[in-house]
Amino acid sequence: MKIVVCIKQVPASNDAKIDPETKRIVREGSKAIVNPFDLYAIEEALAIKERTGGEIIALTMGPEKAKSALKEALSMGVDRAILLSDRAFGGSDTWATSYALAKAIETIGDVELILCGKQAIDGDTAQVGPGIAEKLNARQAANVWKVEKIEEHSVTVKRINERGWDLVRLKYPALLTVVKDINTPRIPKLRDALIAEKAEIPVWKPWDIGTDPDLIGLRNSPTQVVRTAPPAARNAVTLKIDCKPEEASDRFVKELLKRKLI
Amino acid sequence: MGDEMDAFEKRLNKNFHVEIIPPKQESENLEADLNLFASKLERVINSGFTASITDNAMGILAFQGHECIEELGLRIDPERVLIHLNTFHTIKNLDEILASCMRLGIRSILAVSGDGSTRLPKLCPADVECKNTLSVTSVELISYIRKRYPEFRIGVAFNPYEPEKHEFEKLDRKLSAGASFVITQPIIDKNPVIDRLLRDYSGLPVTIEAWMSKKLYLLSDVVGYPISEDAEYDPIATLEKLRGVYPQCGFYLSLLGFKTQYQLIEEMA
Repeated sequence: MKIVVCIKQVPASNDAKIDPETKRIVREGSKAIVNPFDLYAIEEALAIKERTGGEIIALTMGPEKAKSALKEALSMGVDRAILLSDRAFGGSDTWATSYALAKAIETIGDVELILCGKQAIDGDTAQVGPGIAEKLNARQAANVWKVEKIEEHSVTVKRINERGWDLVRLKYPALLTVVKDINTPRIPKLRDALIAEKAEIPVWKPWDIGTDPDLIGLRNSPTQVVRTAPPAARNAVTLKIDCKPEEASDRFVKELLKRKLI
Repeated sequence: MGDEMDAFEKRLNKNFHVEIIPPKQESENLEADLNLFASKLERVINSGFTASITDNAMGILAFQGHECIEELGLRIDPERVLIHLNTFHTIKNLDEILASCMRLGIRSILAVSGDGSTRLPKLCPADVECKNTLSVTSVELISYIRKRYPEFRIGVAFNPYEPEKHEFEKLDRKLSAGASFVITQPIIDKNPVIDRLLRDYSGLPVTIEAWMSKKLYLLSDVVGYPISEDAEYDPIATLEKLRGVYPQCGFYLSLLGFKTQYQLIEEMA
């Protein structure tokens, strides 16, 4: 089975800054990590491969430094990695990003299963995974928390819905976005990290994957971010309740009531 | 094993344990960080001290000490290496670590509950063959290691800042589970709870942690009350004083400056 895992390098959650002019996240100079939800997608791909055999390819779109995210995927055990990187891709919205990733997956060829995290923690849109599926005309299930069965022509999964979960069978090619309850991502071993460190990662350009230049990049993205603002600062207060232990819970509840927190 | 353990434990009481943190998983220059780890380890062992290698300290993902030693092919005196082991592992990883330590000849483990993070798994009671508990603490970890890997001598942490009765009860459980030596949380002066530990458990080897950073305020979370950022602190002088107060104990040196402090420590020893 050939599996593609789409991952994204994102700023560490406590290190995100927004450019006031472009309204885009400033990635330069900030600490970058693999989008946490994507680690679950990588782990699930590895678990499936352990059952069925095959090949796992990690795919991302981003600047040169996104190679470090792919190297982390390699150190976890994926077989190879591909970076889509070119100025022409810069500023792509979720629609244009889905388009580019779908074209790359077509170029890889014969992919049966595509795994993504349920969303990225920077944009929080949860649109790219479903967008890729639409462009590839693949079946899709979002918010998957369990892969029940892998068969020759289909995969059966449990996905979360408002009331509980659905059991869904999807014929290949299929795309799954996964939630964090699905597994515990493995921690890379030193030996694998050292091998990944030296890995050559191919960089694909728009012309390598046959993209239409009018459908990628900031200028050709159908959505434009008009205004962005950081969340309001939380007013955290540390309150020391100095009293006898037997009185502490009463005092604590009174303080919460006073602040209308309960 | 008995005589061998006696020798080890006797040495514990005169020894410096120097804490070494392996390279982080997010290292931006892994090769350089591994070289630094190797040079620190070599220096500590050549000094005749014990190298205490942490396990994802503060929940920050790092490579394991045993895999750094194996992968780099480092020559070590295994009697001078102490591996920390916490409860934030899968059982497969835990067994791999212990098996690797066996291969390397390392026989000393510091079993602690440890600091978790969203990236770290946690042992379940069933993993360590425990039925009557909801979560795995250092006590269950010690029981498992003792049962499955009786070759190891196991140390445990002791926190003099916890409620005293509770901490001594916990220590009793750890000792009943199979622990045979203790390393304390850092102190900076004579401590009445440590005095009681030494008095009431007179046969038990105790290593006292000495705080080797000049930034004393970083201890605030450990001691449970705020320490001013302006507080002046001389780690070397404090260590000398503590050695005078507790001459029967070994000392665990965390946050030791290898460039600025190490030579002074060697001279002191």
